[in-house]
Amino acid sequence: MPSSFLALTSFKDKYSTSPSSFQVSSGREVMENSAPLQESSLAPSNGTLGNSSLSPSIVTDHMCASALPHVQHSHNPAFISQSSRDLASLPPLDASFSQSTASLIRTQGNKDVSWSLDRLQMFLDLPENTPAPNQLVESSTGVLASEDHNKKTNWQEWADDLINVVDPDWSKILDNTNVLNPRVEVPKPSGDISKQQPQFHQNQLVPHGEFSSHAYPSSTAPPTKPRMRWTPELHEAFLEAVNQLGGSERATPKGILKLMNVEGLTIYHVKSHLQKYRTARYMPETSEGTSEKRITSIEEMKSIDLKTSIGITEALRLQVEVQKQLHEQLEIQRNLQLRIEEQGRYLQMMFEKQKKVEDEKGGVPSSASDDLLAPLPGSKHPPCNNGKSDSEALEQDHSRTGIGPGNAGTNEDKSSSGVSTKQKMLETESTVHDESGFSVSKRARTEK
Amino acid sequence: MKFGKRLKQQIEESLPAWRDKFLSYKELKKLVRQISSAESCVEYGKADAEAEFVHLLNNEIDKFNVFFMEQEEDFIIRHKELQQRIKRVIETWGPNGTKPSEAEYKDEMAKIRKDIVNFHGEMVLLVNYSNINYTGLAKILKKYDKRTGGLLRLPFIQKVLQQPFFITDLVSKLVKECENIIDEVFPVEQEDEEEIVKEQREAITVAGKGIFRNTVAALLSMQEIRRGSSTYGHFSLPPMDLPDSDLIHSFQLNSPIPIV
Repeated sequence: MPSSFLALTSFKDKYSTSPSSFQVSSGREVMENSAPLQESSLAPSNGTLGNSSLSPSIVTDHMCASALPHVQHSHNPAFISQSSRDLASLPPLDASFSQSTASLIRTQGNKDVSWSLDRLQMFLDLPENTPAPNQLVESSTGVLASEDHNKKTNWQEWADDLINVVDPDWSKILDNTNVLNPRVEVPKPSGDISKQQPQFHQNQLVPHGEFSSHAYPSSTAPPTKPRMRWTPELHEAFLEAVNQLGGSERATPKGILKLMNVEGLTIYHVKSHLQKYRTARYMPETSEGTSEKRITSIEEMKSIDLKTSIGITEALRLQVEVQKQLHEQLEIQRNLQLRIEEQGRYLQMMFEKQKKVEDEKGGVPSSASDDLLAPLPGSKHPPCNNGKSDSEALEQDHSRTGIGPGNAGTNEDKSSSGVSTKQKMLETESTVHDESGFSVSKRARTEK
Repeated sequence: MKFGKRLKQQIEESLPAWRDKFLSYKELKKLVRQISSAESCVEYGKADAEAEFVHLLNNEIDKFNVFFMEQEEDFIIRHKELQQRIKRVIETWGPNGTKPSEAEYKDEMAKIRKDIVNFHGEMVLLVNYSNINYTGLAKILKKYDKRTGGLLRLPFIQKVLQQPFFITDLVSKLVKECENIIDEVFPVEQEDEEEIVKEQREAITVAGKGIFRNTVAALLSMQEIRRGSSTYGHFSLPPMDLPDSDLIHSFQLNSPIPIV
């Protein structure tokens, strides 16, 4: 699949030349694309079911904006989209992690540094954690470390190889794509959301001046109990207020709310948070919540401990190692999932654009595309707009405002051959939409 | 069906309070089958069915979001409290504390170690919760598109990617901070490698219920799910690379429900 490969490597090229800007633009792009998609798809749900409670579960504009940094965060350096088949043959994407993950597992820290209370105190005093050098003694960790390192170098080499295979025209196309992305503004259907949004947006700014862009809510159906997403910073502000008011027993929700002075924070939020806090304070040995949670392996291990002569500490260490592994794997998986979706989205867009170009040119596609564009028997999608999902309609919008006639010439050659390849790649995802003006309603679908 | 089985296993092994918070994968699959079999009827019926499907999915997403954020809030509080607790213990019973007592200190530290490790485990399990539900959603959407010829998957999954329950950055950050605390709180010991490995193998035989078991189950499930599906495509995840796979598999020795 040469052309698709080129398409994908151009992402890398774009990224490697200006990593930060790519992150930003790609992140923003995801936001821009997804916001209209979400909002437009609110309409049919509301229409057919007449139920406005659907809308809250879908992220809206403001949430998009505040979620932006998270998308950025997951776009790590060495971002390369590849077909998953290729991915399978590669070492896992360790190098694509954020640095902190890497440092934890790979740092062969000062092993000879003994456990010092001073360091512990210092550590505790820091509000935001600056990781002290790790004292990983486990041999298993050592094994992990070396393996990870090998994978990292392999990955980097492979990535570097890709950089050299760059098709500049594709980057131009991508540039155009980014620039010409329409932003379809759909008025928010639910008044509740729009009421809540601007308030919560402020949350980020008030506490401490440093805001975590994490503090956006996801509104649930009943507007009387909006869900608040707490952050460590917000919690710090909460603690300050509580302490000023004389401790968790004496402080009242009203007083806390007033002291915190965070816009959008309601007394319900404070109340429930205070309750959680009180529970956590006065049940430190058992857990917060059911005691069932605390049926841990350690307790079992303790009893059998005597027979097998294993230190509890060792058992705990083992547990931590396994937990760390799970966490690492989860991060890898999540990154993969994000990339897969992003790749799918890009391909879909490119394909739509190409289709648009061909339509504009009066339907003179290459023979390869022709086969794929031939109407399939029993085509399921009705031409009328009622049946179409709004996402399809939106993709048409994308195509419409996509590549103008000026660009058609340059990319047509590549695109035509690219279309057939992309068709195969998109599998069940690929569709061809016609605006109602065209006589034939075509739909191409490749089976696996 | 493989994913469904895996999910069910994980749910069974999960913490009790979590068990009804997972994706209702089986039910959704049934619905998809119903929709696809009733396809032959009116076009308008299809749009209606899709709306119903979307409605259910949104309900599931709401469920995830609510649960996830509640847990996250708890974790934030507990994380801070653990730090305070450590500080208190040091300041009270530590060598330089107000009433230094090595026995008390050791005792309290042991408790703290246990609590921290379990806390770490719980947080990781929440990340796992988020991921497995996302995976389930992606699969169900894929099934839907495949069976009904719909175009639901791509745009819908984009929305899902921005849901609070999927954005696990904060919890991951807390996990890493916790790991640092663990490193501080666990003494450095000078055992040689062989001994450590031997002890670990013995520890394997007593792997018990609760968080540890759930973690092991989650890891192995993940590996299995990604082993290579029958419908491998461009939106599938590649097989997982789990370095200590054998070791982790052996943790299941006493498991009544082997996950192999």
